[in-house]
Amino acid sequence: MLAIGKFHTSAHKRYVIRTMAFMIPYVLVNTGAIFGAFDDIRTPVAAWALALVVSAPVVGQIWATLALMAESDEFVRALVARQFIVASGVAMALFSVWGFGESYAHAPHLPGWLIYPLFWGVFGVVSPFIRSTR
Amino acid sequence: MKNRLKLLRVERGWTQEQMGQALGVSRQAVNALETEKHDPSLDLAYRIAAVFERPIEEIFENPHVR
Repeated sequence: MLAIGKFHTSAHKRYVIRTMAFMIPYVLVNTGAIFGAFDDIRTPVAAWALALVVSAPVVGQIWATLALMAESDEFVRALVARQFIVASGVAMALFSVWGFGESYAHAPHLPGWLIYPLFWGVFGVVSPFIRSTR
Repeated sequence: MKNRLKLLRVERGWTQEQMGQALGVSRQAVNALETEKHDPSLDLAYRIAAVFERPIEEIFENPHVR
């Protein structure tokens, strides 16, 4: 998630509320899954429904980030866009390297959903180094 | 882009927050403009010129003119 503590605009406050609204269900559903709440699901339809339910907050959180950019001034919009693009590129590169590692070097398999936390992890690492829109 | 924004702001006795309110941008945007971490759009440059009642060239140094 974004470094929200440094900003106090109304757009950032809305971003925090939206992020909490999406991430709390995300954590709850995944915690339930870890503790076996959905182990009885057998049919493919129900399994895909569960996958979509778990994924929905991820989509929502990305929307919240794009909404923040749309509702912010030009500096914040440009800065977040740069951070978003760099983090996306680095995360995709890292995951691609691992994917080819799986294909060619017998690296252990990692589930695709890890790209999302990986992206935000990379975002947190690169953001302090991207403070300019130039 | 080199500019005189901080000088003009201080002349008016404004904080970055107050200048941001006058321009309709965040304090972070004002800080980024003053520290040359953000080049303003043409729209924002004209807003700044209007707020300080000066031509853009008196506020921002034209990097293409020697």
